[in-house]
Amino acid sequence: MTGNESLAPSDNPSGGSAGHSSVSGSNTGHQGVSPRKKIEVFSLLGVVLIAFGLPLIMTSPTYLHIVILIFFYAYLTTSWNMVGGFAGVLPLGHAVFVGIGAYTSTILSLQYGISPWLGMIVGGVIAMGTGVLIGLPTFKMRGAYFALATIAFAEGVRVMVENLNFLGPFNLNGPRGLQIPPVNFGFANFMFQGKEPYYYIILIMLIGVILLTWFISRSKLGYYLNAGGEEPEAAMALGVNVARAKLIAMAMSSFLTALAGTFYAQFSLFIHPKSIISLDLSFEIAFIALIGGRGSIAGPLLGALLLRPVSDFSRIYFGDVFPGLHLVIFGVVLILVMIYQPRGIQEPLTRVYNRLINRLTKEGQAKEAS
Amino acid sequence: MLYFIEDTINGILMGSIYGLTAMGLTIIFGVLKVINFAHGSLLMVGMYVAYWAITLSGLHPYLALVVVIPVMFLFGYLLQDIIIKPIFKAEKEVREPITVIIVTTGIWYILDNLALLFFGPQYRTIENNPLRGKMFELGDMLISAPKFWGFVIAIVTAGAVYYFFQYTRLGRAIRATSLDRDAASLAGINQYKIYNIAFGIGTAVSGIAAITLIPFYNTFPTVGVAFDIKGFIIVVLGGLGSIGGAIVGGIIVGLIESVGPQYMTATWTEAIVYGLFLLVLFVKPSGLFGEKNDW
Repeated sequence: MTGNESLAPSDNPSGGSAGHSSVSGSNTGHQGVSPRKKIEVFSLLGVVLIAFGLPLIMTSPTYLHIVILIFFYAYLTTSWNMVGGFAGVLPLGHAVFVGIGAYTSTILSLQYGISPWLGMIVGGVIAMGTGVLIGLPTFKMRGAYFALATIAFAEGVRVMVENLNFLGPFNLNGPRGLQIPPVNFGFANFMFQGKEPYYYIILIMLIGVILLTWFISRSKLGYYLNAGGEEPEAAMALGVNVARAKLIAMAMSSFLTALAGTFYAQFSLFIHPKSIISLDLSFEIAFIALIGGRGSIAGPLLGALLLRPVSDFSRIYFGDVFPGLHLVIFGVVLILVMIYQPRGIQEPLTRVYNRLINRLTKEGQAKEAS
Repeated sequence: MLYFIEDTINGILMGSIYGLTAMGLTIIFGVLKVINFAHGSLLMVGMYVAYWAITLSGLHPYLALVVVIPVMFLFGYLLQDIIIKPIFKAEKEVREPITVIIVTTGIWYILDNLALLFFGPQYRTIENNPLRGKMFELGDMLISAPKFWGFVIAIVTAGAVYYFFQYTRLGRAIRATSLDRDAASLAGINQYKIYNIAFGIGTAVSGIAAITLIPFYNTFPTVGVAFDIKGFIIVVLGGLGSIGGAIVGGIIVGLIESVGPQYMTATWTEAIVYGLFLLVLFVKPSGLFGEKNDW
């Protein structure tokens, strides 16, 4: 995956952020700001501006809800991508971290009156510890065993949560889940009456995690992860501590995933072990990343932009007549992408994007010359 | 004490049926080195094939094997040939292609939801079921007849599959491919055809497992999911790729599920099974009878 810059078409924020770096490599001959960079900065700014202004145009709460879920999934998938994409393993139990984040902050706020913002961090730290605990013995295994271990761990935790009313002093409420009473609205309580505040929170979280991914992919850690994912033996022979790099990636990934869990709990005000620690959620995260392009920066976002609307709209319009249709579509798209575009849909889109940018910059240069 | 013996016997019977449901998984892994995530869905397909074969023809449930085995073999053969083979060809040099795992997950989603689209979510049981509720009396103990016959079928199937792999020409060719596919190709074995056949056999065994389940189990679109996860656990316990290991692993899980509820809430036994699975993964990933180099 190294050397294969993942750029996105100009209609999403990550594409631009990834684009910055490629300027230094692919564009020569221009001192100062190259036209390519100019276009990329402008399109990035434009996309961010549109993203921030969207709630002003889109007043329908239903559509805003859908967009919030798209960002939520894009955030989850980008977090997953740190270990599932860059580290080259296949974690299929990330829902457990979502669950840890959601339960930790909810229990802390319901039982002890601690702000969910603080609970979010606590949940993240607990998830990080759990992630390292899973990673320590499993990263030595082959891909399929790692996938199985993560599934078994997540399912084991789900079964436990469903059977426990109390974990020590903490009230888990077993299979009934936890409900957050909609009182005390306000920023400090992470609870709002409209959907707009949630929209901005998840948008900022998403931009943050994409920027973090971008920094990692350019850092030593990113190169270690890539090397360890593609050729572990060769990387180890060169003195790269592959297991350590993977553990760091796992720690970050589980921490970030848990933050989304808190967001989800505060957004829906209800958490239910069967849905939040479900195999379906774990698989959907992985599917979105794989279809979008694992190991690329734009892939998860593209995957979420493509697949979430498909699933939401097919559920809305065909849900009664063809239940499960969106999952058939998921499966078919997944198989087709794996056969024809193993690097995900970000690859052809990147090509189109590069061609577009090249044409634009050529025209720009021609204008300057005349 | 009597309850304990009765639970133990029932655990062994049900466990061997679990082992049979997991056997296809272990056969496919043994040859292709791929964990087939669509495994439970293949079992589900087998149950629907069996359900319709029995309902439409009025056959005795176990006689439906003559329909289910060839249909399922063909289904598995074509699935591998059409969908999975292209990816194998694209990733020739990788020993354990992760992409194939992903594709089998896609197949799982497609099959389960197609079943939901075509047959609806309702639970189906066969109408003309001579085995329904039948019990053998063994002293004061009651032993379920369909589970007993399932146990017999499981043992016979394991023996037949073992014999096939050890002593037939085709079985030896399959084993050669699983040991070293390049060397086998050099010896004139068509690697991809072997894969197709192995996948077909694995699927046909899932069909047999479906037949043993159908007299006492409901057929519904997500019936495979429970057996999917259970199957992974069983084959890892017994050792991936080992036929006998699948049966032994199945019996271990069956015993925990059947004896456990005497001492704790039934749902906790599920957590114990997951815990045991993780323990084996961490301590001895090759399982009880697996080969060391496979993980």
